[in-house]
Amino acid sequence: MTTMTLPDEHDKPKPAEAHQLSIIESIQQGLDITPEVHPTLAESDHILQIDRFNLWYGHNQAIHDISMGFPRGKVTALIGPSGCGKSTLLRSVNRLNDLIDSVRIEGHMLLNSESLYDPSVDVIDLRKRMGMVFQRPNPFPMSIFENVIYPLRIDGERKKSILSDACQRALEGAAIWDEVKDRLHDSALGLSGGQQQRICIARAIVAEPDVLLLDEPCSALDPLATIRIEELIHEISDRYTVLIVTHNMQQASRVSDYTAFLYLGRLVEYGRTDDIFQRPHLSETEDYISGRFG
Amino acid sequence: MVWLMGGALILNVVMIVALVALIGVRGLDAFWPRPLDLVTLETGEQFLGMPVREETYDAPIDRRRELEAQIAAGEISKDALDDDGRPVRRLYRTGNRDLGQEPFRWVTLAQLQAAERPKDAVFVERMEWGVFLGVPEALVVENQDADADITEGADAAWAAIETHLPDAIDRRERIRKLQRSKIGPINGEMSHLRERLTQAQIEMARTTVSRGLSKPLWFGVIVLAVVLMILPPALWRHRQAESRAAESPLRTLILRGCTLLAIGLALVAWLERPRPAPLTTQALETLKAEIDQEQADLDLSYQEFTADIADIRDLDNQFRVVIRAPGLDRIAPERQTTPDTPLRLSQIVRIFKPNTLSTRQKIGIYLDRWREFLTDDPREANTEGGIFPVIFGTVLLTILLSIIVVPLGVLAALYLREYAKQGFVTSVLRIAVNNLAGVPSIVYGVFGLGFFCYTLGGYIDAGPSQATQLPLFRWWFLVAAGMAVVIIATAFGLLGVRKPGQPDNTRTKALRNLAAFTWITAFALLAGLLVTTPYFHGFFEARLPDPTFGKRGLLWASLTLALLTLPVVIVSTEEAIAAVQPSLREGSYGCGASKWQTIRRVVLPGAAPGILTGMILAMARGAGEVAPLMLVGALKWAPELPISTSAPFLHLDRSFMHMGFHIYDLGFQSPDSEAARPLVWASTLLLLAVILLLNLVAITLRAHVRKKMGTSHF
Repeated sequence: MTTMTLPDEHDKPKPAEAHQLSIIESIQQGLDITPEVHPTLAESDHILQIDRFNLWYGHNQAIHDISMGFPRGKVTALIGPSGCGKSTLLRSVNRLNDLIDSVRIEGHMLLNSESLYDPSVDVIDLRKRMGMVFQRPNPFPMSIFENVIYPLRIDGERKKSILSDACQRALEGAAIWDEVKDRLHDSALGLSGGQQQRICIARAIVAEPDVLLLDEPCSALDPLATIRIEELIHEISDRYTVLIVTHNMQQASRVSDYTAFLYLGRLVEYGRTDDIFQRPHLSETEDYISGRFG
Repeated sequence: MVWLMGGALILNVVMIVALVALIGVRGLDAFWPRPLDLVTLETGEQFLGMPVREETYDAPIDRRRELEAQIAAGEISKDALDDDGRPVRRLYRTGNRDLGQEPFRWVTLAQLQAAERPKDAVFVERMEWGVFLGVPEALVVENQDADADITEGADAAWAAIETHLPDAIDRRERIRKLQRSKIGPINGEMSHLRERLTQAQIEMARTTVSRGLSKPLWFGVIVLAVVLMILPPALWRHRQAESRAAESPLRTLILRGCTLLAIGLALVAWLERPRPAPLTTQALETLKAEIDQEQADLDLSYQEFTADIADIRDLDNQFRVVIRAPGLDRIAPERQTTPDTPLRLSQIVRIFKPNTLSTRQKIGIYLDRWREFLTDDPREANTEGGIFPVIFGTVLLTILLSIIVVPLGVLAALYLREYAKQGFVTSVLRIAVNNLAGVPSIVYGVFGLGFFCYTLGGYIDAGPSQATQLPLFRWWFLVAAGMAVVIIATAFGLLGVRKPGQPDNTRTKALRNLAAFTWITAFALLAGLLVTTPYFHGFFEARLPDPTFGKRGLLWASLTLALLTLPVVIVSTEEAIAAVQPSLREGSYGCGASKWQTIRRVVLPGAAPGILTGMILAMARGAGEVAPLMLVGALKWAPELPISTSAPFLHLDRSFMHMGFHIYDLGFQSPDSEAARPLVWASTLLLLAVILLLNLVAITLRAHVRKKMGTSHF
């Protein structure tokens, strides 16, 4: 385990002695815990492997020693109360945190067993292999068509036929083709929030990424639009590996195959969604899921 | 408090509306034709005059008493005093300057015996000497055999003038066109020929420059440059295709180094290209003969055109008009020196009888005067004629200035906001930029004159001065040093890059600062190289000592104004860039866009309306600026437009006329400020209209961009 940089380091009891404290209490006191990772995950094929990953914003540690694997072709949900590091973890996967000057990391992330944080990795290329959808719909101030094919455009693709094929495929994939096919060249900012978010999903999948990262994609949407997006995640889950961060327990249980529960930057429990929601190994997980804390 | 604020607003609005209304009314009124009075004074003196305005004046009390007594006695009209008992005087425009008469004359109403409105009186606008007021007496048409066909009598002469005047004006225009479109280019060609000869002689005399490398060596340099340009990038790309890894710093360094070396070798190859031996005396003689021949050809066609012009002039001289000024009893002369030769018909620009005009005719004259004002060149020290070159100069200057200032300002703002690390230095820079907006514009004018016109313009004309030129060997040594410095700067920059996931530490910070310092050194060296190059002798050496760019001109004026308006553009662009939501940037980075792609495709389009707002502000400020222009390019009289049909079409070195300066010149510098007064109002109105029009164009453009982007910021 990494050494902690907290001021009470010298009187920190050994993890073995901490059995009388609950896991939540241990974490709150800055103690290391052993995450409860279900054995069902052991035999799966992991597209993305996180290995003892730590992250600091300046002097604040946001992620503590997380090790976990994400199964290929499955939907994995990251749940946990606000500030637990779910979004930070997601943004570390495509190195969007590089944009913040004060970020420092330790540990490894492996995509298809290639390290993501090796100095020789081209971060631009890396991001092209991971589609990302953000909390608030963020279509660019341009036409729907240009929005969707943006990743191809910046890749230097110019052929009209390829672009329009890809655009149609992505829009169909994002289940919005029928709604916008007649106004592809209108500004994307004229669409409703739910439609904008689906445009953003189309933009994220147009370049056929290896991994799709969804950062609370429904938090700014109304319930109907949320249902549409959830159905969409379900539909595309057989083609992509999806990582979804969500606040919404029901959403996690509806759309995901695996669920990881994080708390204050630590992984607490990680297993198949059915197991986590019906037979969690830890009482704390059960408490959180049933809304008793958090 | 709310009343105070509302009051302040209303005061502001009232002042602005009043100013615009005043300019509008006076400007629109300027060209309206007014009636003519035949004035008889109590002394018996008579003259024709156009009443301009009346005013009261202060007079001693006994003078007032005297006037009151006279009014009471019925000797003078009671209009001579106003309601408060103050005497009134009236300003008459009397013209006839070439007859030695004051063109404007104050008459107190007490002096005025009678003011009739004679039907026959004419108002004549002439090409020279301004307005003539008189009564037409005769039109003389001389025949080939010297006897004249004379139409006499006011009415008959007037009818004859009306029939013959259009032809006369047409002849005048033909002469002008011939001079402009035929004779002008011939003169241009002539000076080109002379320049060719001078250039050849200068090159013959030059001994300091090398004659280039030997052929095989030169060829070797070219091959090496090409290999360096093509081979390493190709090799690296081949290697890189196998792994998706980013380039390592060393590879990047080698790649950039190779490119730089290739550029350096290309420079060698170009500067040291094998040159033919200098002209022999014999070759110079051949060239001279050639040029003489061409000059003779030009002379021939020149004489042809002057003969044409002389023919038209002969015809012109046959039509003369006798207009007599009553009171003076003298006629309008052809020239001031020949008082008895009547005016040529073609010297008349416009003639009309102000006292018999119908409203329709008045509107006709009014519109025709506006047409002349908008489309013609100025005459008579700018107090007559049109101001087309002035409008043209103003519009062109404003367009040029925005073309220069927008890219410059946007690039600077992008660096400040997107690339530079926000901190002490950027804050200082920002404050400095904001303060630049407050520097008095005349200071920019002085800077523009000193730096742009004389230093930069002089460099373009004549190259670096002889004193600073370095010997070839030392200069090339400096070039090599410069390249080495650039490579070192690149290396520092590459080493100073942060490792992924690691924040800055002292080492990377220090390296990056070193890189910045080394880059600055490199640019200083580059400037030094330019100033000391022994290869460049200026683009217009043959025209020396007459300067081409080394004097005041359009290019330098627009650069100065661009500098002046730069802060406006930088500030508004920075604000617009900062207002682009961070989520859009993240979205773009998330799609795998590089920084530049994000800026180009997301940030700039998002900020475009704000950038255009900056451009509008810059244009409004630049178009109204006068003080710096007086120093760097605007002239009182420059009818030659900066655009022509001969290469290079846009003559950035020419001086130009500018509306702001024109207004100053008309109002305060003209010999006849009373005559210029209506033109001042009209020009001011026009300046407002031009600025409004330019702004409207820019605002429409912005609305269009906004609609396309679907945004509604700014």
